[in-house]
Amino acid sequence: MRMAFWSRTALRMGGIGLALALALVAVSAPPAPGQPRPGGELVVAIGQEPDTLDPQKTSTAVTGLISRYLGDTLVTKDLKGNYVPALARSWKISPDGLTWTFELTDGVRFHDGTVLTADAVKASIDRALAPETRSPIAGALFGPVESVRATGPRTLVVKLKQPFAPFLDNLTDPRAMAVSPAAVQRLGAGFGRQPAGTGPWRFAEWRSADRIILARNPDYRWGPGHVHDGPVYLERVIFRIIPEDAAQVVAFERGEVLMLTAPVTDVKRLEQMKRFTFFRFLRKGVGLFMEFNTRREPFADVRVRRGLNHALEKRSILEIALAGLGEVAHGPLPPSIWGYWEGIKDYTPAYSPARARQLLAEAGWTPGAGGVLHRDGRPFRFTLYLAPIDTWRRSAQIVQSQLRAHGIQMEIQTFEFGTLLAKLRAGEQQANFMGYTYTSPDIVYLWFHSSNIGTGLAHSHFKDERLDQMIVESRTSTDPRRRLALYQDIQKYIVDRALWVPLWTNYNYIALQPAVKGAKVHPDGFVVLNDTYLQP
Amino acid sequence: MWVYLRRRLLLTIPTLLGVSALTFSMIHLAPGDPVAIMLGGEFAASGRDMGRLRAELGLDQPVPVQFARYLARAARGDLGASIRSRRPVAAEIRDRFPPTFELTVAAMAVAVSAGVLTGTIAATARSPAVDSATMGVALLGLSMPTFWSGLLLILLFSLKLGWLPITATGLRALILPAVTLAMPAGAVLARMTRSSLLEVLDQDYVRTARATGVAERLVIFRHALKNAFIPILTIIALQFGGLLAGAVIVESVFARPGLGRLAVNAILSRDFPLMQGIVLFTAVIYVFVNLIVDCSYAVLDPRIRYQ
Repeated sequence: MRMAFWSRTALRMGGIGLALALALVAVSAPPAPGQPRPGGELVVAIGQEPDTLDPQKTSTAVTGLISRYLGDTLVTKDLKGNYVPALARSWKISPDGLTWTFELTDGVRFHDGTVLTADAVKASIDRALAPETRSPIAGALFGPVESVRATGPRTLVVKLKQPFAPFLDNLTDPRAMAVSPAAVQRLGAGFGRQPAGTGPWRFAEWRSADRIILARNPDYRWGPGHVHDGPVYLERVIFRIIPEDAAQVVAFERGEVLMLTAPVTDVKRLEQMKRFTFFRFLRKGVGLFMEFNTRREPFADVRVRRGLNHALEKRSILEIALAGLGEVAHGPLPPSIWGYWEGIKDYTPAYSPARARQLLAEAGWTPGAGGVLHRDGRPFRFTLYLAPIDTWRRSAQIVQSQLRAHGIQMEIQTFEFGTLLAKLRAGEQQANFMGYTYTSPDIVYLWFHSSNIGTGLAHSHFKDERLDQMIVESRTSTDPRRRLALYQDIQKYIVDRALWVPLWTNYNYIALQPAVKGAKVHPDGFVVLNDTYLQP
Repeated sequence: MWVYLRRRLLLTIPTLLGVSALTFSMIHLAPGDPVAIMLGGEFAASGRDMGRLRAELGLDQPVPVQFARYLARAARGDLGASIRSRRPVAAEIRDRFPPTFELTVAAMAVAVSAGVLTGTIAATARSPAVDSATMGVALLGLSMPTFWSGLLLILLFSLKLGWLPITATGLRALILPAVTLAMPAGAVLARMTRSSLLEVLDQDYVRTARATGVAERLVIFRHALKNAFIPILTIIALQFGGLLAGAVIVESVFARPGLGRLAVNAILSRDFPLMQGIVLFTAVIYVFVNLIVDCSYAVLDPRIRYQ
């Protein structure tokens, strides 16, 4: 575990006077090209409106994204993925992994002016964990917390009930950011429309269905080591809510939007224009996989599930449905998540119609009238549930035609996302499409641990003691090497049981206008804007 | 006139009651337990949460009691609170109605002026080519779905020609969405104006007017069009509902923060109180637009008052 200390505060305090002097100089002589200049507005297109900006009450990914700019976490990750100090300038872990002691950074203030103390951070964590907060994500990030205590004005002690390996990584999640207890108290339920954190930008305005405006925090001097000291350059960051992909792209091409997550259908065209800067990175998560309900026919039989794994030719699904803008998936983890086992590529069932036929025949499915597979006089027919997402629909159609060639009839049924999840939890499906984004391998707990059957994301409805045991050990072991070995076993085990057909993981493309300088992409899949400025 | 107006006003009462009953029953007609549906998002609801929400929405009471309470509160303008934002539904609607009102009024203005003009040209054109061309354009406007025509207009006027912005606010940003929304309504109006005007132009009094040497423009605009306007007005009122419904799509395409998008989000997040509130509000608007149209019949055609 990496320990780190820093005390640049004194230096920074001295730096304020200098910064002021420099700012005065800046008025009279504009900085040379290539020099960061303060000011300007960065307009970012988002497709979905946040449910709330309260990081502890949100269940949407877009709130997580915006929270990255509004708040700071105790610990964060640098651009190489190393854990580095943020609101905690250092931390210590007891040998049993149960007691975590954080020393907080000095001089940090929330956007409402109150000082960040150990008491404030304790109040923030307690709120995330309180049942009445009904936190969909933030509460779970802290895991099995027994108590949080402030043992000094800057010293925070978190005691866990049992070792929790994902703890450190979870602390870097934007939804684990510290929120101002004073603002929470004052605003009550209104906090979600007017959040107060400690981040480089503070909340300014939320115009429903239109835009969310963040304004530069002039007091910000506690950024992590991988960004410049002092307040950020951009005066405002505006998240413009544009639901229609095509409208987002046109607004970007016209220069009304400066930063865009480019839709698959437009990536190649925008790249060919050679006007924009692109960041490309592999999604942190498997973009699309077919999940089998192991409690329902015809997929209760592992030979049938394996048969389908051999029957699908994933490369053409990727090429057609995603215009090739991604990678074929092989197991429950993508290469972009720590814990991914390189060997899974060769371990996973390869495309082999002959092997598929053989396995299906062993399970009793043999070709009948019209080449359709039959067993006991009944045709091989099932329904695939999915959500109305373009790339999923296209993939489903290709899967459908590939399976038809194997004598399998697949019907496609689409549901709105929330409804789909409710149906999958209830186990109504035979098979379904799903995808996820997550930063740690602990995602296997959500998808495969039997405690999540019926309540969480364990849509395979697969109860297996051995698998549960491995997953629990992967969470409680604090030895990274042991965890790596466990994740390798878990990936093999899931592929052996053929609970999924992993299909593809997409690249994310973020396009920037040429005037946007100094933007950096973070390994966790977002753009670090602290050093970003606009060049006129 | 006042008797007529009073009678029409009284008639709105049963209409509004019916609308309230329908919107109220929405929550009970949807399959499944509404509370479970509302909480059935990504995370399983606990029994306690369900009990709390049920009590909060008054769903633990007998249905007639619920309806009476709903009516009493709605009459006071209290439509409950949105489940998603926790804000009063009335406040949500108040915030989001102005952009939709702006858009519908602008679209109505475009539809009426373009529709009536096109219809008049088609009806009075001496050449069958002009008639076919204008009606062809109208048919095109009617058959194009707005999400598609909206995108085409964006591509042409914002991207290729660069004339109009997409994300800006103000009058210029209103042009493309208003034209998109106006297209189907304008097309219907054009066709209606044409047929209605053709009928009137055959009447004896038009022939008389022409015979006495009244200028053709005056014949059409003062004599014929005024009399042809009653059915056109009916269509305008009907189209108003269509415009409010069309705003749902146009607002999404053009990223405008209006009532239509609020409705879509309410449906997607199963925010029943918000959905009910929007439907009721829209219905009330619709009823009053029809009332205004009924009254304007009386102004246009005095005979209607005495019937």
